[in-house]
Amino acid sequence: MKEIDARGLSCPAPVLLTKAAIEEEREGRLTIIVDNKASKENVVLFLESKNFGFSVTEKNGGFYITGEGSPGVDPAPELASSYDPSEETGKIIIMAATDRIGHGDDELGRKLMINFIKTLKEMGPSLWRLVFINGGVKLTVTGSEVLPDLQALEASRIKILVCGTCLTHFDLLDEKKVGETTNMLDIVTALQLADKVINI
Amino acid sequence: MATSPTEQKLRETASCGCAAKLPPGELADALKGLDLPTDKNLLVGLDRPDDAGVYRITDDIAMIQTVDFFTQVVEDPYRFGMIAAANALSDIYAMGGVPRTALNIVAFPLGVMDLAVLRRILEGGIEKMKEAGVVLMGGHSIQDKELKYGLAVTGFIHPSRVLTKKSLCEGDRLILTKPIGTGIITTAMKADMVPEDISESAVNAMTRLNKAAAEAASEFTVHACTDITGFGLLGHLAEMVEGSGLGARIDTSKVPVFPGAVDFARMGLMPAAVHKNRDFRGWMVSFAPSAGRFLPYVCFDPQTSGGLLVSVAQEDADSLLTKIRQYGDNAAAIIGEVVRGPDEKIIVE
Repeated sequence: MKEIDARGLSCPAPVLLTKAAIEEEREGRLTIIVDNKASKENVVLFLESKNFGFSVTEKNGGFYITGEGSPGVDPAPELASSYDPSEETGKIIIMAATDRIGHGDDELGRKLMINFIKTLKEMGPSLWRLVFINGGVKLTVTGSEVLPDLQALEASRIKILVCGTCLTHFDLLDEKKVGETTNMLDIVTALQLADKVINI
Repeated sequence: MATSPTEQKLRETASCGCAAKLPPGELADALKGLDLPTDKNLLVGLDRPDDAGVYRITDDIAMIQTVDFFTQVVEDPYRFGMIAAANALSDIYAMGGVPRTALNIVAFPLGVMDLAVLRRILEGGIEKMKEAGVVLMGGHSIQDKELKYGLAVTGFIHPSRVLTKKSLCEGDRLILTKPIGTGIITTAMKADMVPEDISESAVNAMTRLNKAAAEAASEFTVHACTDITGFGLLGHLAEMVEGSGLGARIDTSKVPVFPGAVDFARMGLMPAAVHKNRDFRGWMVSFAPSAGRFLPYVCFDPQTSGGLLVSVAQEDADSLLTKIRQYGDNAAAIIGEVVRGPDEKIIVE
């Protein structure tokens, strides 16, 4: 594993050393040592942008950042000609494995879920995908109180993934009125690409 | 362990010129409790720090003084000279004044760098001084390990027309006259990652004087003004609202940003001062999810020779914006407003 000692260097050098190691020397595992918080944050952001996993430990006044991923050069980033906030917001996935929120009273739980779905639009462009599995698929079928809200979300380009196995299990496959019937691979891939996953 | 040529080069050129300003927290600590001489003619001094100091000479004339210098931001020495001069002159414009005289400040690595480089820097500076109608009276130079250049500038203004940072009014609209992101772009330029059209637009903006925008503003009753430099858009806006009893709302979809700046922030190609500025002022700012994850970094990006941030009554805002654009700052925009509360809070959405 390559170790880059970037202590004593100011930005952007620590990021550029990391970039060179990954892109030119094709290192898939490396540790970068920096001595200040700003460099740590920049190196971590760079590793994230390369889809590298990372961990940070702090010792002896330095930050040891270990990254692991697939080395290589990405195609040059496409630079937006003008700023579009929806492209830059973190991608949030909401995974609903139930048609009610929490335990205690099922009737209350159902009302809370309805209210939750109706309020989701307030997340703005950060909301990227909704995933419905297990009992959650019942929110997407005929008779669901939030159907119009989910359809409105879908119309505003939020992708809704509905678990096909689950629909089949509840015998609701033909009743589904919103979203895309999908499989576990699509769901797992979506979870991997998201910046944040909210489980309900 | 072998060191690659790239690594060697990076280790040799690891400096962060544009953001060389002392971090705001440290500077405040150093200044705290200093025993400052007082003078009844001192209209703006360190007791309420502003873009420049203002001293009344007669009832009709006040003198504005400022000094600014920094390390090399772009490779081309001529354009570095232009940028450093435009940046130093900007503080006079931000106070509502007209610059008249200047002195050069030079730190030069003699024996390491060719003197022709210094010559080009000075030529670039003079071009901007001429454009501003400023006469160069002299200067001071020292030998130093790292190249630095800037100006001490004197300007004039009517004492009643002085534009300070903090005289905002509720309901004012905030106009920003240049796009933000120069600190991030110049950092990414060191990595040779910036397409030429993007670096050109950022460098052109940095060499541009705030003269025209200030002239446009002088045709209106502007309430407050500052220029956006080392503390970034939100750092300077925080200075404006601090102690004013007012807050501000910023609409990120309206903030002009250089193309690419958000992408480079996402890759961690940022000057350290972005994080320091955010650590220092972050508590005054609430970011809504609509601001996204990476634009907030750009909003704290230290600007070199950034634009003016003007606070003007709502009824004048559209006409002033039109005039600023007519005078050549095409990217100028109304980016937000001054609100009653919460106090000292900036909401970015």
